[in-house]
Amino acid sequence: MAIDCSQYPHTDGFDELLSAPGAPRSGAEGLCHFFSGLPPGELEDRHRAVDAAIMAAGITFTVYSEAGNIDRAWPFDVVPRIIEKREWERIEAGLKQRLQALNLCIQDLYHEQRIVKDKVLPAEVLVDSRNFRSACVGAMPRYGVWAHICGTDLVRDGDGTVYVLEDNLRVPSGVSYMLENRQLMKRLFPELFARYDILPIDDYTAQLYDMLASLSPRPGDRPEIAVLTPGVYNSAYFEHSYLAQQMGAHLVEGPDLVVLDDDCVYMRTIEGLTRLDVIYRRIDDDFLDPEVFRPDSTLGVPGLMRAWRKGNIGIANAPGAGVADDKVVYAFVPQMIRYYLDEEPILPNVPSYLCMYEKDLEYVLANLEKLVVKPANESGGYGMLVGPKSTAEECAKFADLIRANPRNYMAQPTLSLSTVPTLCEGNLEPRHVDLRPFILQAKDLYVTSGGLTRVALRRGSLVVNSSQGGGSKDTWIVQDSW
Amino acid sequence: MLARVAENLYWMARYLERAEDTARLINATTMMLIDMPRGASFGWEALLTVAGLDELFKKHYEEATETAVMNFLIQDEHNPSSIFACIHLARENTRSFREVLPRESWEWVNELYLYAKAHMNQALDRRKRLEVLTEIIRRRQAVVGLLSGTMSRDEAFQFLRLGRNVERADMTSRVLDVSYALNLPREGSQYYDLIWMSTLKALSAYQMFRRHVSIRAKGSLVLAFLLNDPKFPRSVRHCLNEMRAALDELPGDKPLRTLRGIQAGLDNADFRALAKSGLHKYCDTLQAGLAELSGDIADTYFRAANPQPAVGQDLFSQA
Repeated sequence: MAIDCSQYPHTDGFDELLSAPGAPRSGAEGLCHFFSGLPPGELEDRHRAVDAAIMAAGITFTVYSEAGNIDRAWPFDVVPRIIEKREWERIEAGLKQRLQALNLCIQDLYHEQRIVKDKVLPAEVLVDSRNFRSACVGAMPRYGVWAHICGTDLVRDGDGTVYVLEDNLRVPSGVSYMLENRQLMKRLFPELFARYDILPIDDYTAQLYDMLASLSPRPGDRPEIAVLTPGVYNSAYFEHSYLAQQMGAHLVEGPDLVVLDDDCVYMRTIEGLTRLDVIYRRIDDDFLDPEVFRPDSTLGVPGLMRAWRKGNIGIANAPGAGVADDKVVYAFVPQMIRYYLDEEPILPNVPSYLCMYEKDLEYVLANLEKLVVKPANESGGYGMLVGPKSTAEECAKFADLIRANPRNYMAQPTLSLSTVPTLCEGNLEPRHVDLRPFILQAKDLYVTSGGLTRVALRRGSLVVNSSQGGGSKDTWIVQDSW
Repeated sequence: MLARVAENLYWMARYLERAEDTARLINATTMMLIDMPRGASFGWEALLTVAGLDELFKKHYEEATETAVMNFLIQDEHNPSSIFACIHLARENTRSFREVLPRESWEWVNELYLYAKAHMNQALDRRKRLEVLTEIIRRRQAVVGLLSGTMSRDEAFQFLRLGRNVERADMTSRVLDVSYALNLPREGSQYYDLIWMSTLKALSAYQMFRRHVSIRAKGSLVLAFLLNDPKFPRSVRHCLNEMRAALDELPGDKPLRTLRGIQAGLDNADFRALAKSGLHKYCDTLQAGLAELSGDIADTYFRAANPQPAVGQDLFSQA
């Protein structure tokens, strides 16, 4: 049967494309019309073709399991998510505002700590922060920017409000999938691209290159830039190699680099040692430099921190930037925006309960079955409790964890994430999504046009992480009157 | 260029060349068998000897039956030189330097791997073997063609070229060595020419030999062609010339000196005499020279900036 938007099941929540069965939202009319006009089976045929293309292109990520590491094809859904430009511009402004404030905050925390002295950020938050790196105190990265690449997770609740769910300031991944998704869509539906005015996204890698190049300590046309990867077995290796390829940068592993007595970083090449100017690192702080952080790390480079503090190498994101990427610090970002920028936050936070506060802790423990509880320092959806989907026993176990270390937990109401029609066995069904735009900051600020829409492919699931059954969609920012 | 990347490129080219050469060898042998009279004993062990894998084979198999040898050479994971293992390793290597090759290269190597994975099993059966192995050769050649048509002649390209030709020269000398050993007892018999012909076929040299040298596969002529012909791309001479051209584009001169030594051994060879005796020793020396060259390449490029010995990828040093 043909894909028929009027057969789309009604949902209680907010659907990104349809306001009611058969009633496309503004911006989505053309897409729904196009789908309805496709002959029976056509959409599935195209989907199959795209799956084959993904497999052949080796667009994969690695899943760690007890059975060994599995290389999985990137699960991609053919129905795009559409956002009108008018709405997007407001989000974009909000993202820039947020990252500016976050960077001012990181710079402040490693210098005077005014925000703590002025009691806007409670001192105990900083004291307990696992991502505050004393080795970074007093460091002066160029432009005073620490988080150069940020992947902010946005969600839309039932009433249509877009919230910031978290700021990923350490080594956010997913941008390569965003770019690949667009390539796949162009191959799959060239006729739609002819009809719609969709903002292009391919300039991301050029923007990333320019941003990285601006961090070079040596003036010159072609700085030596490298992407530092933990290696082929990392789950995001595909992305590391993709970005290096797109930027014409080196893809290096820790043992490829060495810091000499002059405190400069060199690459081991076929002609001997060559000086390196900028590292886009895709390994965590903990592993960066065994002389300063974990001494058992074989992924990093001994002496790297020395070179960085002396200003002989640019590192993005700067070591220690993760201090502001903590789910407890997150709760204070609206205050940060007011404090540093003297502006009202454009994008709201999801209301959060911090277990470090007695009152909040009591509320959280009494309402676990309604809340999503997250540990402060984990990423990738690990170690969290989704109250409404958990048994009483699981909740009780989690309550013990929270009591043992309240500072490490925060809780939020379970949002009814918005949905986008998704192709499930030949029919369109609603599936929950989030959105991860990528923001760059050095001298200037840049936001991708849209971002990576992640989708929870399991019916009813709210977990969009690729490691846990999530997939992705192309995201279209369209002109309001197309 | 990063030393690690150079090393991975060099080995990726060697793995792919080895996979293709093994496929060609198996195809030619299978076709020749069909010509042999019933009852004429043909030892499948010969193929193992060519690859230098007899010992390893005996560890895992009782008897060198056709099925066992085919399984071992085509898909056995215990054999790091099996066609599938080579393709798998080449794919893993390619993954580690996707950024230096034209974008489609990874896709095509990956597709070659996916094809091999899905079809290797069928190649055990004689009826499907030719088809599957030929498809593998075709897909590998597509990768070679893609690189040749879209890749700058940069340092990365020279390492691919080096790896390909070191491996190919090695394979040519091995096939010669073993065919000769098989031929000795048959001198004068009606199968004598047949085996030299099959040697040419195993190296995909038969047609070019007939076209440029002779209709009859005479021992000394075959030797001269496979060792010394400057125009045939699988001859040792041609491979050495290719290595020379690649090394000329790279810094360092130790590998070049070793290469000149190997070339001198070829300049001074008497193929008529070798066809009668001494070929085995000659091939041994040649292979030792190639192994030394490979070691020099590793020392000069892969470990140049690295005083401590690298964690070797050289699982299959062909000593």
